[in-house]
Parts: sequence; C-alpha cells; structure tokens
Amino acid sequence: MRRHCYRYIAGIVICCAIIAVGCMERPVERIPVKVVSAGSLLYPLSKAEAKYEELHPDIDIQVEGHGSIQAIRQVTDLGRQFDMVAVADASLIPDLMYRPVDKTNKNYTDWYIPFGRNEMVIAYTEKSRYHDEITPENWFEVLSRPDVRVGISNPMLDAAGYRAMLVAMLAGEYYHDMTIFSRLMGDHFSPPLTIEDNDGIQTVRLPQVLKTTGSKITVRDGSIFLLSLLEAGGIDYTFEYRSVADAQGFQYVPLPGSINLKSDEYRDFYKKARVILGFPRFSQIGSERTGAPIIYAITIPSTAASVEETREFAEFFLGMSHMGDRGWPEPLNDSPAFPWSTEIGGASE
Amino acid sequence: MEAFIVIRILRAGLIMMMLFCLGTGCISQTPASPSPPVTVPADDYRNWTLTISDGTTRQVYSLAELRELPAVTGHGFAVSTVGIKYGPYLCKGILLTNLLERMGGISDGDQVWISAPDGYLWVFDYEQIQGKGFITFDENLKEIPPPPLRILLMYEMDGAPLSYNDGGPLRVAIISEEKGVITEGSSWVKWVDTIEIHRKSQ
Repeated sequence: MRRHCYRYIAGIVICCAIIAVGCMERPVERIPVKVVSAGSLLYPLSKAEAKYEELHPDIDIQVEGHGSIQAIRQVTDLGRQFDMVAVADASLIPDLMYRPVDKTNKNYTDWYIPFGRNEMVIAYTEKSRYHDEITPENWFEVLSRPDVRVGISNPMLDAAGYRAMLVAMLAGEYYHDMTIFSRLMGDHFSPPLTIEDNDGIQTVRLPQVLKTTGSKITVRDGSIFLLSLLEAGGIDYTFEYRSVADAQGFQYVPLPGSINLKSDEYRDFYKKARVILGFPRFSQIGSERTGAPIIYAITIPSTAASVEETREFAEFFLGMSHMGDRGWPEPLNDSPAFPWSTEIGGASE
Repeated sequence: MEAFIVIRILRAGLIMMMLFCLGTGCISQTPASPSPPVTVPADDYRNWTLTISDGTTRQVYSLAELRELPAVTGHGFAVSTVGIKYGPYLCKGILLTNLLERMGGISDGDQVWISAPDGYLWVFDYEQIQGKGFITFDENLKEIPPPPLRILLMYEMDGAPLSYNDGGPLRVAIISEEKGVITEGSSWVKWVDTIEIHRKSQ
C-alpha cells in the first residue's frame, strides 16, 4: 500500500513538472498589430502601446515611424502590410488611399477618423540667444537677428518643414511686414527664395536642391536632428509642432492663431500661403503645399491582417487622445466616431 | 481489494492528465489573425534595365552589364527622417560618377535626377555628385564633419546580391572609407531604374 502511495506521489510530481515546463518554456505567441505612423505621433503611440500591452498581454503593438506620405506609401506603393495608418495630415488619406488595391476592386481605405490638431511653435532652450527676450509678439524680430541661428526641416521631406515656411509667409500678412519671410529665411538660401503673389496667394517656389548660405538657417531631414542640434546649442530656435516640443521637454513660444496652422477659424487665411516643392519626390502626389489646419487622422487599410485587434487598439488610442495629455496632439471637440460601430460604415469626412 | 481499485483509477487519471499536459505544452499557438506573407517581386532581374539619359543620348544597361563595369566597395550607413538607423553595410557597386562619365560627364550647374518605378525621385546637384554637401553623423547620431564620401549605385550588400526588400537590384548608397559614418537616408533611392542628367545648358 505504501509503495502504491510513493508511485502516486511521484506521478503527481512528474505531472506538476510537465505543467511547469509547458507554462514556462513555451513562448507566448502574441498577435501583432502593426502601426505605421507620422514621426510626430511616435511619442503618443509609445505611451498607448505600453498601456495597451499591459492590459492585453496577448497583443504586440509594433510601431514604425516615417514622414506621413512615406507612412502611407509603405502600404500603397511598397505593398507592406500594416494594420493601422496614423498621419499628421488627414487630407493625405483620401488623396493617396482612396484608390483600388492592385488586382482587386476594393480601395486601400474609404474612411478616416480625424482625432487631433497641432500647431507650429518656436522651440528653444536656455542656451538660445535672446531666449529671455523672445515673446509671441516679437518672435520674428528675434529670429531675424543676424546672430540668431534657426532650424527648419527639409520641406521636401517633412511636413513640418514646409509648414515652417508657410508660417513665415503668413507672418508677413499678419504683421503687415512683407519682408519677414525673406529676412527670416528666404535671403539665406542660394538661390534666394522669393515670394510671388499669385492672385492673392503668396507662393514660394523651392529649387530642386535646397542650399543654405552662411549659418543663419540650418536644414535637416527631420525634427529629431533639429532638436538634437537645439539641445547641443548648434541652433538657437527651431520651428516645431507644439506636441513634439512638449514631449521632448523644450520651451517654446506659441504663435498667434492666425498663423500657427491650428485653427479651423483661420482656414481661409492659411490658404493665402503656398509652397511649391522643387520636384515631386513622390509621383503619386503633387508638389503644391497650401496652408491648412494641421489635423491628425488614422485609418485601418483594407489590407490589414489583424482587423478586430486593430479596431480595439484604435478605440483605445483615440480614447487616450481624446483625454489629451502632454506630448499629444490637441483632441478635437467631438468624440471620434468609429465607422465599424455604425450601420453605414462610411467615411468620416 | 477496494484500495487496489482506487489506486488503479488514480493511476489511469494520472496518465490521462499527463497526456493532456503534454498535448497543451507541445501544441504551438497560432495567432488569431495570421499575417499573410508580404508579396514582393521575386529577385529575378533578368528583364530589369537601368536607363540613363541626358536629353540627347540614352544608354540602357542590364544588371549583368553593370556588374562588368569597374566595381567599388565602401561602408554605408543611413538614417531615416525619424532617426531609424539602417546599416552599417558593406556596399559594392558602380560609382555614379563613373556611369556619368560614360555619358560625357557633368559640369557645375548640372543636376542628376534618380528615380524608381515606385514613384520616388531624388535630385543631386553637381556638388553632391562630387560627394560634398552631405550631413554626416556618428553612430550616436551626433553630427560630425563629413569625411570623403562617394555616391554608389549598389548591387551587392554585405557580400550578397542586393535583395528586393533592400532596394535591389540597384540602390543609391552614400559610401565612405570609414566605418560608422551615417548619412541621411532620403538620398538612398531604392529600386533605381532611371537616371536623368539635367544639363544647365539645356
């Protein structure tokens, strides 16, 4: 009887060991939700990713950052599979994604959800020359001083770059001083960038290769490089999205609503400035960039793999966005409407 | 006798439990929504060609013909607009300047437009064609003075033919003799198939 008991106990021990091995050594397969996003959304997405994965350990949110156009092109032109696209210019989604997927009759998407807005600000640090003098009223005077170095992203590559130019052009209209753009930027390129007036629309045409003269203006491919230079004291000020300056902990000067590209109220005024890029970097989209409010949006492409999981994450992300926080685009007034939870399932334009 | 029956029942239960545990431990889970494989063209470049033109002259090269031209190897390392690093790579291919020489060379004020079938276009000016005017970083993305740089049309990366996913069969690479020199990735055009020389005089 005792021998039988030993066998019984030994059996239980073996069984427990097998259970332990089964539970401990087997890698947990997580369902990936692949997000391709604008660079200025990487910080909010990293916050949402961390919280969501804590709540849903079976989901693996994978985020890849690009410029907004490149983010969309990953899906449409490069055939890569992403479950969610998040961009810093809502108009790009209908422009570039409302078209059929190759060899099918369904579009890449037929809807998008606008969820936030941003604004252009002037970021600086304690090392920036005249940082104790700069205000929302005199920023263009300070930035125009000969010994002040200003950074902008390459307008060919980064929406923040052409938006910086649009702000400087609109400042001329707003402050009734049409020399602001040339003093601040235009005169410091070779050849100089000049403003043409086309039927009341101020237009700057960029050359194919943007070359600066002297050290007044520094152009880099993306914000990340400008903020690094700003921190190191290589430049004094840079045009930046408010949410990015916030997320990175930089001080900034807010700009008047008429020129900061934030508000729907000034939509018509923003349209008075236009940048024509030196060449169409992407044949799928033209070279004209006209002033407009900066609106963020997401969509789930029809080519997505993990649709249900992505919808749940999208609702979570937009819910966090709607609450607003430091480093996030400012939430829009209306709560986001999810096309999958309505009967019509139509576009959210 | 009764105890013996109980033990036999327990033993049978144990065996079944062990089999169940083994089963659940060994069967791999599959994701609820498996990702279908990314569809890319096969790395078969027999019909691929590179066209180079300047408005009056036009040359067309197959990959085999390009591989017969003098090859150069150098270190390449790129960074995307959001700071993602790609590399370091050992890049092998043809110098862009060598290919341009076969078209009569270029002069100050000329531009070279390099494009790909995916719709991407990048423009280099004379200074850049000479390897100047690029921003360079160290591996920590701290800006450094640019060492001598050259523009390569790369067909081999790290000793293997350039795959489609890496921009094959032909991709622009900005190369250096030094390891760890990072350049901005915007000019690293993938899938290059067209080079246009825009002459200032035209």
